[in-house]
Amino acid sequence: MKLSLINLKNFRNINKLEYTPCEKLNILSGENAQGKTNILEAIFALGTTFSFRTREDNNLVKYTADGFSITGKYEKENRLINAALNFSSNTGKIYKINNKKTTRSNIDRLRVVLFTPDDLYLIKGSPSHRRDFVDFILRQISDEYVYNLQNYAKILKKRNLLLRDNGVRSKTFKIINELFIDSAVKIILARINFVNILDETARQVYSELTNERYKIKIRYAISFPLDNDKINLDILTKALQKQLINKNEREVIRKSTLMGPHLDDIHVYQDDKMARIFASQGQQRNIAISLKLAELYTFKKIKGFFPVFLLDEVLAELDDEKKQLLVKHLATADFQSFLTSVNFGNINYYSAKFSLVINGHLE
Amino acid sequence: MKLARPLENLIDQLIKLPTIGPKTAQRLALYILKIPEGEARLLAQAIIDAREKVFPCPRCGYLTDTDPCMICRDVNREKGVLCVAEEAKDIIAIERTGFRGRYFVLNKEFNLMEDNNLEDFNISGLRKMLVSGEIKELVLALNPDIDGEVIARYLAGIAAEYEVKTTRLAHGLPVGGDIEYADEITLRMAIEGRKEI
Repeated sequence: MKLSLINLKNFRNINKLEYTPCEKLNILSGENAQGKTNILEAIFALGTTFSFRTREDNNLVKYTADGFSITGKYEKENRLINAALNFSSNTGKIYKINNKKTTRSNIDRLRVVLFTPDDLYLIKGSPSHRRDFVDFILRQISDEYVYNLQNYAKILKKRNLLLRDNGVRSKTFKIINELFIDSAVKIILARINFVNILDETARQVYSELTNERYKIKIRYAISFPLDNDKINLDILTKALQKQLINKNEREVIRKSTLMGPHLDDIHVYQDDKMARIFASQGQQRNIAISLKLAELYTFKKIKGFFPVFLLDEVLAELDDEKKQLLVKHLATADFQSFLTSVNFGNINYYSAKFSLVINGHLE
Repeated sequence: MKLARPLENLIDQLIKLPTIGPKTAQRLALYILKIPEGEARLLAQAIIDAREKVFPCPRCGYLTDTDPCMICRDVNREKGVLCVAEEAKDIIAIERTGFRGRYFVLNKEFNLMEDNNLEDFNISGLRKMLVSGEIKELVLALNPDIDGEVIARYLAGIAAEYEVKTTRLAHGLPVGGDIEYADEITLRMAIEGRKEI
């Protein structure tokens, strides 16, 4: 996907703005509070209908106006698509693709992958950040995964209720437990298959971003032991069944489910050491960027086209060499990316479109 | 705006009905005021009659004004096939297909995935039918959701106690539909449940 034009009206601090990015790397530079991130936010909203900074649409409207408008044109697999997101406090939000009213699950919507400074938590944060990262992509890729995840949440809740209410010996628990195992192993298997693809791509990307100095490895960490090296639906099912019987007493005492995909983790290693503990801040940031880039390549592998990559203030915390390598990767990649930054220092731009943002205008 | 108290009261009662919002409730209330008085009385009486005379059939749970219900009394029905549904409205739908077996309605009025359990179902009527030995097949017409799945497994277990075969309605493509527009999950289930022709 390549965004070729975006028009903004009364969006955040922007009165009126027309932006024609190039097909590769686009750099939005400027002082603080000039509107760099607002442009990224608008691109994100054009593809998802909401902002990554606020859930309140009114906050996106310029304070003198009563609504905003974002329109854009982009290419998807050699077709030109136009999209529009209009909001006013009277009519609410109206989303159109190719001039037809639609919803945010339209298959022709602009797909985006976003990297913000908060994504550092992908490495050093709690396991739930990493599960969410994997779930977010799998949700875009497979409806069946979404269905299994929804079912799993309901079954888990019910299972915990039964553990709380001393219902372990009931018929209901027996059946809920069977369904729990069924949906748990489906989710685990989908995640493992996905993490394997992610591992391969992230390894290449990270090696490039560190001048081949470091290697990363990504492994799915199941919250219960397996006594087999091979993994398939049958082996997982048997292992989970066995462990649930073993841990039954503990679950009853703790009154909650002690294993399953809701407790699994994704382990990231740098040179065989756990990145969460042993990698430096800068390295962790670089690994997080590599995971996001790997997300893009994995998406392409499965869906056949690239999303647009949005990077908000990532350069600030990288040293000069890491900056150079990242900008080089983005400038020469097959996908389109947008990067905001206050200061570029002495970066070589390769072939990037450079735009200066001053007080809601492009120079 | 102030409304006359009885009119306001009527609107308040109508708003409680499913799918009725404030605007529709107001429209219906004003309509009831406009029709001849006799018709309005008929409507009120119909509500009272239905409430007083209709009850779930003690045998099968279907809504009836006689005991047993029309379906249970019908001697031409296939005795060997018993269809289990979650609610009486499901039976109305299945009846339209020309199904000629008998029914059992669970009349589930609680949320299985919250605080209620399978043990809260009153299935003594079902056990009575199964123990008679007349039933050869239990057809589960349950919704294709997680509740339906839990209930299906539970009932299949009970039917097995009486050595009765259990079947469940197929999940799949709607007739007249378009494969292209079918969602991934339905289509996969349709592939799994494919039939030889």
